[in-house]
Parts: sequence; C-alpha cells; structure tokens
Amino acid sequence: MSPSNSAERAAIDSGEPASTGASVRLSAASHSSPADGTPDPTVSPAIHAMGLSKRFGDTVAVDSLSMTVRRGEVFGFLGPNGAGKTTVVKLLLGLARPTAGEALVLGAPLGDREARRQIGYLPELFRYQPLLTASEVLRLHCRLLALPKATWEDEARSALETVDLLERASDRVGTFSKGMQQRLGLGVALLGTPALVMLDEPTSALDPVGRHDVRAIIRALRDRGSAVFLNTHLLEEAEHVCDRVAVIDKGRVAATGSLDELLGRHSRVRLRVEGLDGDWWAGLGRFGEWHREDEWLVVDGIEPSRIAGLVGELVALGGQVQAVIPEHQSLEARFLELLGGR
Amino acid sequence: MNPTLIIASLTIKEAVRRRLLVAFAAISVVIVGLSAWGFDRLSHAHSLTSGEANLAVPQALILFMFMFSFVLALSASAIASPAISSELESGVLMTVVTRPIRRTEVILGKWLGLATLLAGYAAAVCALEFGVVRLSSGFTPPDPVLVTLYLFAEGALLLTLALLLSTRIPVIAAGVVGVAVFGAGWLAGVVGSLGSGLNISALRTVGEVGRFVLPTDGLWHAAIYYLQPSSLITQQLSQGNGRNDPFFAQGAPSAAYLLWVACWFVIVLALAVASFERREL
Repeated sequence: MSPSNSAERAAIDSGEPASTGASVRLSAASHSSPADGTPDPTVSPAIHAMGLSKRFGDTVAVDSLSMTVRRGEVFGFLGPNGAGKTTVVKLLLGLARPTAGEALVLGAPLGDREARRQIGYLPELFRYQPLLTASEVLRLHCRLLALPKATWEDEARSALETVDLLERASDRVGTFSKGMQQRLGLGVALLGTPALVMLDEPTSALDPVGRHDVRAIIRALRDRGSAVFLNTHLLEEAEHVCDRVAVIDKGRVAATGSLDELLGRHSRVRLRVEGLDGDWWAGLGRFGEWHREDEWLVVDGIEPSRIAGLVGELVALGGQVQAVIPEHQSLEARFLELLGGR
Repeated sequence: MNPTLIIASLTIKEAVRRRLLVAFAAISVVIVGLSAWGFDRLSHAHSLTSGEANLAVPQALILFMFMFSFVLALSASAIASPAISSELESGVLMTVVTRPIRRTEVILGKWLGLATLLAGYAAAVCALEFGVVRLSSGFTPPDPVLVTLYLFAEGALLLTLALLLSTRIPVIAAGVVGVAVFGAGWLAGVVGSLGSGLNISALRTVGEVGRFVLPTDGLWHAAIYYLQPSSLITQQLSQGNGRNDPFFAQGAPSAAYLLWVACWFVIVLALAVASFERREL
C-alpha cells in the first residue's frame, strides 16, 4: 500500500468514529460526502442494504446482509470463492430477487429502471457481442443508456482510451483475448458517468499491467465522485484502492469498516530493551497487551501513534531501547483470522 | 430510439454478420433452381394432357411449398432457440438487462428482429419460387401474397414458441422441442384429415384440438387454399378426395380461427415475457 493511499484513506475516514476494540463493528448508515467528510442528509448512500438474504432451496447464499456504501467511495467486497459475493451483486442489480430484507441502490428500490441509468456494471462473466466491433458495443450501450446521440462518439472514444483499446476500436470483439474483453467491459461500465460502478472481479483476466491500470481507473472514478463497489477475492487489490471493505463469508458479513479500522487495532510493536529487570512493564498495560517472545518484548494492540510515547516511557524508566519494530497485520492475515483461520 | 427497436436492430445486425441470411439464401437458390427445372419438365411433359398438366403444376407447387414451410419452421426454431438461453449462458445478456431497459423490451426486440428476418426470407423465397413457376409453366397461385403471409405466420408461430422455450431451457433442447412440436402439429392435422375422410370422430377431434393448440397446420392449410386454382378445388371435391388429403384445403380459414391465431401469438409472447421477467439471472 502506498503512502498516498494511506493519506487518502485517512482523509476519507476522518468522519468515522474511532475504533473501539478488537472486534469488528458493522458500519452505520452514513451520508458522508467523501470530499470533506461532512454528512449530507439529502444524498442517499450509493448502496444501503438491510437484512438482505437469499436462499436457493436449502442453501443460504446471503444471510441478513446489512451494509452501507457511501457516494464517492471505493468499497471492497471481499470474501473467499463461494462466499456469496456475486449473489449480492446480482441482488443489488435486480438480476435476482432477495428472499428477505431490502436494499436501496442510489436511493431507489432494487432493480429500479431509472437508477440503472446511473450504474455501470462489469460482470464476473464478461462477454460482449462477438460479432460487433468494440466501438459498436460501446455505442450500443450508449443507446441503451439513452445518452444523446451527439455524445456517443466522445463517450466511446473516451472509454476506449481509458481502457487502452483505442487501436482495436474497429476490431470485432470475437477476436479479443479475455483480458481485452475484460478491459472492454470496464469501458462499457464507465459510459455515461455512472454514480455507482459495480465491478465483479474486474482483474481476473488481466496481466499485472492491466491490474495496475484498473486500479488507476478505480481511483479516477473515486476522484470524479463515483462510488465503486469492488467485488474481489484479491486482497492486494482491495488494499491498494479501497476506502472501506466488508468481508463476507458463507453469506454473512464477518467484518466491515475502513482498512485502518480492520487492521489498525491489530498493530503491534516488537521491542528489544536492556537495563530493566523484573516485570517492569506491569505498569505499562495501558499501551497494549505485553508478552515476551525470546529476546523480544511484544506489545499487541498498540495504536501506531502511541509507539513514540511508549519508547519515551521506557527511556524514562532507565531502559536502553535497542530496537523498535512496528508491525502491521496484513490484510491477508486479518482476512484469514476473520474466516476462522482457514 | 425505443429499446425494443434497439434490440431488434441488434438482432438483425448479428444475424447478418453471422452469415445466416447468406446461408439460407444459398440453399434456397439451389432448391428453387432445381424446382425450376422440375416445373419446366412437368409442364412440358408429353405424357400429360394440358388439362392434367394444369392440375399437376399446382399440386407439385403445394408439395414444394410444404417442403419450404418445413425449412422455414426449422429456420425459425434454429434462430429463436438460442436467442435468450445462449446469451444468458455466455453472459452477453447480463450487461444488457442491467441497463435501463425492461426485460419485456428485450423479448419483444428479439422477436421483432427475428420475425423481420423470417419475413424477409419467406417473402424472398416465395417471390422467387412463384416467379420461377410462372416462367416455366405460366401458373400463378390465386393469391401469392396471402400464401406468403400464411407461410410466414406458420414460421413466426414456431419462432414465438422457440423464443418462449429459450427463456427457460438450453439451446439444443429448445430447438429440438420446437421442431418436435411442429412435427406433432402437422401429424395432428394429418390424423384429423384421415378422421374426416374415414368418418372417425376421435381422429377428427385430434385434428381439431391440434389446430387450436398449435395452429401451424391450420396456417399451412390456409396457405394451401391460396395455392390451389379453382379447377383443382372443383376436381378434388367432385372426386371426393379432398377430405382425407393432407395437401388439400377445402376452404379459406375462418375469421374466428385467424382471431384465435392472433390470440395464440399474444398468449405465447406474453408467456415468454412473463417467463423471462420471473427468471433469476
């Protein structure tokens, strides 16, 4: 994760309440504007799901899912294969009907036709009319979106440029590789300046360069104020671009919050201190949970901002601090922890 | 543009690029060419009197058009059965139905596009065949436009049924069921004709029920009626052959029957729409 992303996240998360414990909490409904963190009650969230459930016979695919995705944020929807991620996307798009619960997408009920005008969607199974050219596919979607005819050419060109397919604009989609079809699908999802873009495993067929490009596109979408619902099992992808994430497992939300919230509470610091004897750290329990690992002292659950203060106290106690190694739990480790140590 | 028309034009464009029309046209030109030779031989056969030839040519044309109606039905089933199921299986339809478009418009657009293709194909082959027959024998059916219309309606009926099946079952199954139902409909018509000829009420009932459940045979007989010159009708009736001949029609379809056919189209299309609307993707 780059420092700039951390800074972005910090800015976006500034309106969030402080983390309160090791357990993960469900996010509250919010109407925060990502630009300044000020709640705007007149703007509905991009997605607001309340107890959304879906059963297929005896199989529970989605179980009482509640979450809120704000306008203008990149929301990562993480989970292992078969967790119910794509089913949730289909419910939110009105492709499938919930068994229970309800949700609002851009303030409208599920499947609302007008709301769909403001939604871009890249499906997990991305296939486009193989006998049309890339340019024709984009113009077809401009027509389906009822965009003014005068804008079709610019919209198509801009989308092709963004996904780096301008040189293949006149080639039939049937001649495209899977990666190129996925790029085209992303271009299709960008048409008409959607307020919400739903990307279902958007980099599954892309090479590293393509994945990098997709991240840049996602950031650009956020910069222009579009909300992005990123459905992925690639944690690195989520770490790079997401403002907040929800972890789903067996149809249930296991955790939701910003990445800092999910991971920050689980930071730790590893210390090597000499010159102090006995259980001198007993009076420093306010910094976190202490234990010894060989020659190292480990403080679990310390907030990164308090590490400097801890070092100061150790020095004041007469300790010689030889090494301080802050450790941040990786998203993968936290993810596995949330899934019960799979 | 109306979303239904967008889907219809897309359907036509894809069919053209798939070279379906070229393939159908090529096959049709070959068959019509062969029939031209046959009609020329028939109308100039020394073994027939001119009167016999005047009766033989329309009968041969009816047989040819029966074959063509079968080709048309097969074509309709072939182009309609993948219309929804194939695009759902491949995922092509997923990004279309998530646009601000009703599923009703998707079904109607597909139907309109495919029916337009079918109408064009039926009109082209009928015009070609009737022209060839006229040139080779001098015979023109009493109402070639209505013949074309009824043949198209027969194909469109099967197209509609295949489209309904396509909303629920896989491509091959939809195609096979469509053709099988068409065959069953024709067979019911034959059974009905036999029932009439042999005066067996049970068989006659099978034919009547079949004509209503799947009106393909009823429409085929409507087409036959407008292919027959009055001399052929008179001769068949005077000889008492008409009632059990599956290639003979005693009269034009009634207005009530045509009204039922129109209702059949509406009902099956409505079922297709409802089926697709209810389907979870």
